[in-house]
Amino acid sequence: MKTDFKSVQVAVKDSVAVFTMNNPPVNQLSDHFVRALADAFTEAYADEAVKAIVITGTGKNFIAGADITQIKDVTDREQILTHVRANTRWLSSVETGPKPVIAAINGNCLGGGLEIAMCCHYRVAVPGIDLGQPEVQIGLIPGAGGTQRLPRLIGLSNAVEMITTGRPIKTEKALSRGLVDEIAPADKLIDTAVHAAQKFIMRFLNSKLRTTRNIFDRFPSAAEKKNLIGMVKAMTAAQAKGYIAPFKAIEAMERGFGYDLDADLQIEAELFADCVVSDVAKNLIDIFLNTRAAGRLPRIEGLQPAKIKKVAMLGGGVMGSGIINALLNSGFEAVLWDINDQALEKGMGAVRKTFGYAIKKKKMKPADLDNLLQNRLTATTALEAAKDVDLVIEAVLEDMAIKQEIWKKLETICRPEVIFATNTSALPITEMATVLEDPGRMIGLHFFNPAERMQLLEIICAQKTSDQTLATSVAFARAIKKIPIVVNDGPGFYVSRQLSGLFGAAVFLSADGVDSAEVEKAMIAFGMPMGPATLADLTGIDIGYHVGKTFEKRLGPRYKMHPLAERIYQTGCYGRKTGAGYFDYSGPRPVPNPKVVAVLEQYRRENNVAPKEMDQQEIIDAMLALGINEGALIMQEGICDRPQDMDLAMIYGTGFPPYRGGIFKYADKWGLENVVAKLEELEKRYGPRFAPADLLKEMAGSGRTFYAR
Amino acid sequence: MKEVVIAGYLRTAQSRSRPNDPARDWFCKLRADELLAQLLPETIKRTGIDAAEIDDFLLGCATGVTEQWAYGGRTPIILANLPETIPAKFIDQQCGSAMAGIQIGFMEIAMGFADTVLVGGMEHMTRVPMGGTTIDRGHVQPNMSLFVDPKYAHWDMITSMNMGLTAEKLFKQNDFTKEDMDQWAVRSHQLASQARKEGFFKDEILPIEAEQADGTKMVVDTDQAVRDDATLEGMAELKPAFKKDGVITAGNSSPLNAAATSMILMSRETARQKKIKPLATVRSIGFAGVDPTIMGHGPVPASQRALEAAGLKAADIDFWEINEAFSIVALNCIKHLGIDADRVNVMGGGAAIGHPLGATGVRLVGTLARILNIKGGRYGCANACVGGGQGVATIIERENYDW
Repeated sequence: MKTDFKSVQVAVKDSVAVFTMNNPPVNQLSDHFVRALADAFTEAYADEAVKAIVITGTGKNFIAGADITQIKDVTDREQILTHVRANTRWLSSVETGPKPVIAAINGNCLGGGLEIAMCCHYRVAVPGIDLGQPEVQIGLIPGAGGTQRLPRLIGLSNAVEMITTGRPIKTEKALSRGLVDEIAPADKLIDTAVHAAQKFIMRFLNSKLRTTRNIFDRFPSAAEKKNLIGMVKAMTAAQAKGYIAPFKAIEAMERGFGYDLDADLQIEAELFADCVVSDVAKNLIDIFLNTRAAGRLPRIEGLQPAKIKKVAMLGGGVMGSGIINALLNSGFEAVLWDINDQALEKGMGAVRKTFGYAIKKKKMKPADLDNLLQNRLTATTALEAAKDVDLVIEAVLEDMAIKQEIWKKLETICRPEVIFATNTSALPITEMATVLEDPGRMIGLHFFNPAERMQLLEIICAQKTSDQTLATSVAFARAIKKIPIVVNDGPGFYVSRQLSGLFGAAVFLSADGVDSAEVEKAMIAFGMPMGPATLADLTGIDIGYHVGKTFEKRLGPRYKMHPLAERIYQTGCYGRKTGAGYFDYSGPRPVPNPKVVAVLEQYRRENNVAPKEMDQQEIIDAMLALGINEGALIMQEGICDRPQDMDLAMIYGTGFPPYRGGIFKYADKWGLENVVAKLEELEKRYGPRFAPADLLKEMAGSGRTFYAR
Repeated sequence: MKEVVIAGYLRTAQSRSRPNDPARDWFCKLRADELLAQLLPETIKRTGIDAAEIDDFLLGCATGVTEQWAYGGRTPIILANLPETIPAKFIDQQCGSAMAGIQIGFMEIAMGFADTVLVGGMEHMTRVPMGGTTIDRGHVQPNMSLFVDPKYAHWDMITSMNMGLTAEKLFKQNDFTKEDMDQWAVRSHQLASQARKEGFFKDEILPIEAEQADGTKMVVDTDQAVRDDATLEGMAELKPAFKKDGVITAGNSSPLNAAATSMILMSRETARQKKIKPLATVRSIGFAGVDPTIMGHGPVPASQRALEAAGLKAADIDFWEINEAFSIVALNCIKHLGIDADRVNVMGGGAAIGHPLGATGVRLVGTLARILNIKGGRYGCANACVGGGQGVATIIERENYDW
């Protein structure tokens, strides 16, 4: 047979044809690659010298799954169905083909990759790789047999868990579950697979018996299936509200996973097509692609980021300790500086605490933590210890004078190319940089709490931040496994200000007689992890108040503090940290705080406001309209210009529901003219805070959208 | 020694199993333990006892792997929500499993360590197949040395582990013809079909609602493998199933089946006190080992021992239930024990009704007891061959229980 199929190379030895798949960069299942693979199978089947086939990949992946950019723009359900059916037929022809096929799984085997491997008659894998069906993470379900073949191989409960969460399993677990037949080290992989092929040739193994369509021993009884599916549906309803794919995946296994695989594959194809054309999938695919592309800005294209190895962290508080965790976990060397020994000791304790979860889960041994801290972290009260670092991150007291003084000192200690990053959440960075001889070296790296876990890193360019500083900061963000979202300096930068806009209508609704509990419920129903009052209690009503005051001072009369907000602040109940805020936390469960309730009732009496029933969607519309408007204002002010990045920032930074795509995605979907109309209506009722931004009016007028159509 | 009686007997219908085409098995979406969990409470109810009075549960099953693993026999008790006070044992004597359950229960009661014993049998040969598939998937792993070490060569484990080949060998040792075997199988179908028409099985089969492959519901109350139209000609056309020039076919062997069976044993004294009318009294039991390559001969010595212990001769037995794992097993037994063939399997046998391995023993004894009652016999002997080279037998007596 032919040996060169471009992306598939074939070597025949001892009656076994070894297919090596090589479709750079990640062995993605693009059309031309699948065609090459199909051609290779056709020829191998026809060649009498070939008695068995081994397929393997190159690099880190066996096959990395389908090319989702091909799926992203499909809107025609029939078109995708035709495509899926053809693919399914081909895969089934491999499964029922005339010659045994052994998958030699050399690397990660995900999505379409696993679906091909499951059509093989025997699977050998190297240790420690991931095998899984991650499709739900981009709003899809496996569309090439995954929902049908996986349960046949590993049983319904295992399969349903893997497919509805998208979480992969490692080779070792795959072996114990029966997804993999054998484990072999990388250098023995092909030999082991060829040896397995010989077993088929010698009839010690029977390929027909090993096809998933002939494996019936993992079938649940009707009662078991009903019970298990019922439980999984209830769990998923609680955990995946707003999503479609997990439910479609469950449905695929509920209606499918019967005795006729081909019929079941048809069910899967239909459900897959439902997902492909859904808004949720489009949103999640966009998020996936945009996340990958985040930080690739024209401004820094071609710039070589400086290598960062050692980082100084100033301040070991909540943020500092979390950042240290992220640094150490990503292989950086770190210096923790704090003002005195007492603060330093507290900081070190806080750092240790951030590893508590890993230790509790036995992902890290206490001795390893000791070694890590011993070898990679220096604790000091001497700023001079920062003399050989490549980056300084500052998270000290939010006081401009203190911060500026430290930076001035550091400028005499550190090398000139060292980046000075501030984690301030409120102070103007452009002003902070004015004390430096080279303000180009200063940038804002705004981490989110808890820093060791939150994926977002908001990078704030001050007026004079240099392109090189930005390029290095973006690369650094990726190095500590964060998603870099770049914005310009301004009060609250992007995320804090956007969030205060998104939740800003709550006080107006409250003052208007709407029950606060209904606002909380509406935002949860919309998909936010919590409502405005709960969030304020968590972050501190006083903090929110000061942020609001800053906005009022720096952004003008539109942001004038609502009198009701002033009064609530005056109660002195600042949230969880004082035991009560909007809610009282002294009991077993939070209840409305009588003091705040009294203030609210008093306010309503004075203003002759009666309690008001408001439809949940109307609450959501009011909240989102103000949120969208805030986004437009921020954009109009030149703080950011990339809606796709801003949407990512809200998703990763505040838990904005991914299935909705983001605030700007939501705005486009709602229709900007509708947003403007809603804002105008609200402006009449609640005043200038709701006046539509010029940008929004202009876009609505000219029919533009935030996302390119 | 206390006297032990059969106080109740009930089974499910026996569906026809097809491990390679599961959709055609009426019970394809029911596990064996679920069949049993439906059956047990009904058996208890019909016998008229309180479940709390049961002192032991003995569960026979020949393939206790994958979903037939039963936590030592406890899961069917739990699935049926029966009292926690019922202990359990999982009994594997291959095709003799359920009969071994009866035998152990008999001894427990006879020796006074129990008074009421529930015996169950379950086997689902679609959902938990026997043989090659099970071994291929690693669910059953016979010691490989048995096949390759010369010191075990004389056991001929290849034949010993393939029931069809043991039947071929047993056939060769006798002077029956293939037609004799086929004829016996046709007889089995005809008698079973006749008995079904006359409603004989109605009183021993609990109808079960079963979801079919296509999602529809069906009430299964009849044995799926029994044919009303079996003919010798049709039987003769079937090809050898186990070796090219062989004589054993799918027709003159028992089919694969799924079913659950149950029986309640009790001391005669308790039955009298409770005014329960027993089906019969257990008189004697027997078990024996033979050359595993002719395991089908096992019922002969097993029955001889049971007869000897009871002080009876073969001629004293009015009705026999000989498990037709293969026709040749029944023919061999008839010949070596000198039995009148007309007194054997009078309501049809395993070739027609089927043989859900570990569940069969209870059906044999239970059906035999009912035959004695209906046909008016005194003694009955049920026996079965056992893979691995064994036989089991149980002798029962119908008495006048005038209380």
